[in-house]
Amino acid sequence: MNTTKKRWLPLLAAIMLVSLVLSACGSKESGSGAEGTAEKPVELIWYTIGTPQKDVNAVMEEVSKYTAEKIGVTVKMTMVDWGDYAQKLQVATASGEPIDMMFTSSWAFDYVQNARKGAFMEIDELLPKYGQGIVDALDPAFLEGSKVDGHNYGIPANKELPAQEVWRFNKQLLDKYKLGTEGIYSLDSLEPLLKTIKENEPDVYPLAVDKNQAPYVPYDYVIEKLPMAVSLKDSGLKVVNVLETPEMKAALNTMHKYYKAGYIPTEAASLDSLTDVQATGKWFMDRATSQPFADNLWSASYGYPVVSTPASEALIYNWSVMGSMQAISANSKYPEKAMEFLNLLNTDPVLRNMVDSGIEGTHYEMVGDNVMKNLDNSKNYDMPTFSLGNLFITHLNETDPADKWEGFKTFNDAGVEAPLLGFNFDTSKVTTEIAAVQNVKEEFWAALMTGTVDPEEYLTRANDKFKAAGLDKIIEEAQRQIDEWKASK
Amino acid sequence: MKDIGRNKMMLLMVLPATLWFIFFSYLPMAGMVIAFKEYRYSRDGFLASILESKWVGLQNFKFLFSTNDAYIITRNTVLYNAVFIVLGLALAVLMAIVLSEIVNKRLAKLYQTGMFLPYFLSWVIVGYFAFSFLSVDRGMVNQIFAWLGFDPVSWYTNPAYWPVIIVVVFLWKSVGYNSVVYLAAIMGIDKSLYEAAMIDGANKWQQIRNITIPMLTPLMTILTLLAIGKIFYADFGLFYQVPRDSGSLYPVTNVIDTYVYRGLKTTGEIGMSTAAGLYQSFIGFILVITSNAVVRRFNKDNALF
Repeated sequence: MNTTKKRWLPLLAAIMLVSLVLSACGSKESGSGAEGTAEKPVELIWYTIGTPQKDVNAVMEEVSKYTAEKIGVTVKMTMVDWGDYAQKLQVATASGEPIDMMFTSSWAFDYVQNARKGAFMEIDELLPKYGQGIVDALDPAFLEGSKVDGHNYGIPANKELPAQEVWRFNKQLLDKYKLGTEGIYSLDSLEPLLKTIKENEPDVYPLAVDKNQAPYVPYDYVIEKLPMAVSLKDSGLKVVNVLETPEMKAALNTMHKYYKAGYIPTEAASLDSLTDVQATGKWFMDRATSQPFADNLWSASYGYPVVSTPASEALIYNWSVMGSMQAISANSKYPEKAMEFLNLLNTDPVLRNMVDSGIEGTHYEMVGDNVMKNLDNSKNYDMPTFSLGNLFITHLNETDPADKWEGFKTFNDAGVEAPLLGFNFDTSKVTTEIAAVQNVKEEFWAALMTGTVDPEEYLTRANDKFKAAGLDKIIEEAQRQIDEWKASK
Repeated sequence: MKDIGRNKMMLLMVLPATLWFIFFSYLPMAGMVIAFKEYRYSRDGFLASILESKWVGLQNFKFLFSTNDAYIITRNTVLYNAVFIVLGLALAVLMAIVLSEIVNKRLAKLYQTGMFLPYFLSWVIVGYFAFSFLSVDRGMVNQIFAWLGFDPVSWYTNPAYWPVIIVVVFLWKSVGYNSVVYLAAIMGIDKSLYEAAMIDGANKWQQIRNITIPMLTPLMTILTLLAIGKIFYADFGLFYQVPRDSGSLYPVTNVIDTYVYRGLKTTGEIGMSTAAGLYQSFIGFILVITSNAVVRRFNKDNALF
């Protein structure tokens, strides 16, 4: 008996070891006390969106030195790639992983939904106390427009406020055929240009469209890419099925006409992105959401000149206000420190530029007052500027006009508020219907919006299925909430 | 206690698998309660979130049955899987027998490896393989059609061809792997059985029919029973990546897993996706029990339990 026991010992020890390791993974409790000072800084864990960069840790070390001195925090940044961000963060927040600050937006890791689920900390009190600098720096429309059920849960980046749709052109082809963009505005006005390109450049997509795009119609969607919408001209805020509106019908007919004429890629309805043709330059025009001086940005990133011309008015939508935000996690141990950090990030040019461009001398160098130039090493630290807070205090690039941020301010001031700005649909009463409608949308949306199928036939089919899936019930619920919201304004 | 002492080497060998099952199958099973809750986050971590979330009864299951899509997705899932089970079994056994009869062992290994390889490819890659064949402008099939003077076919918008394409792609990817399992079983069959049969004058076909197949029956039954347990689970990659998520193909490619994914990817309601998973395993459980009972009635030795 005794010998058996002894032989069991290694096994027992192994089991204990495993459980020890497992439990050690779970709890990393740090004692409190006089923390958050320059001598004993606290570590903030920060999740941001973008392709993970090689030099993140090196830069964050520098950042931490600076922030430890200033506000007594160090920063550990985890980058999650564009396509994975929403899902990874969904799981991380649902399982209660330690996070202090994270990127959120209307288009990746949905801000409103996750605020309602309790992923973010409400910051109504923290903001004036530790983030006064943010309140001063931001256009009030940002904080007002990003309220969920009357509370703020995130800090929008100070950037362009309205969204404006533009037609973008590959300038090489525009010049080659001496085409002008005067009079180009509506979808129908594109035809002669597309025709020229189709006839002369068989390898080029005349109108580059992928499955994520939909023709612009003057409606404000209750939920992006689901058919409930309010007309921009309707002050009565009546929710309609956008697929039944004359504007959408006309646009879809035109798209189908273009598709049949071969102006649109044949595989458009299953094309994930246009990155390939953008790299090779084998496209003539497409539609995009713009910001001031965006042509410079596009030309620089594609490596050939791109020009654009407006395709819609500049309007402030919910989704454009919430295009890039930083939120404090509901389970953050140091919410005050996190807010202090975000405040510094949005007001202190030294910190903001370090986070954005890396270490001076390694990743970039200054070539003028407030103008910088990327060095070769910048490819190891190439961050999406818009996702990391206040744009207006970042350095300019050499190609930027000196009055870049003035241009942004003018653009922001000229923006017109969309009818549903500030309204957030609470879907909790219609989750079942939304899941069903979502499936119908996936079935028809891309095929219709890219012009691949004949709207005469498919629109009726889609609308029948939408109705069967409960679209009317969602519209009714949305209408009820919008009426309440309108009355309370 | 004595038994443990006697079998300790054996027990030690199953220990890793046991631990794996405890940590990744049995412990998480408690999470089933989420299917009956409206899951909301609590700042005190995951367990607190589960406990504090509100009970909603069967609310989360409703979206699975709320439209007439419920019929289509269930039909697609079950029928495709049934075809996969039947054809997969037949082809895998056939391939295993053919491979075992090839005299040149070097060639047999070559074929085996060639058939095995697709199993290791991710569905995303397989999806692009299929696309290089079926693309409207640049696909190989349409180029051959053009050469022969046929009209090009818009594969990704025409549902009529897809039941066949899906089945072919699935078999191409999985048969190699399964045939290796059967091949291993064939290798394990006592050679003296064949020698005795040959002495009695049995030809190859009679040997296969009367020795190989009966010897493989227990394995076929077990693998089929296990496959039936998964009949409500569709291979997500196959039904999502290979048809390139093309909406026009949904009538023949939408299965439970893709439906759940599409319905919940924007709202991310964990309760609802848990409900879908629970529903699938529950039906699978019932099916395994029933089919096992049926097998038991005919042949007790071949049943799982």
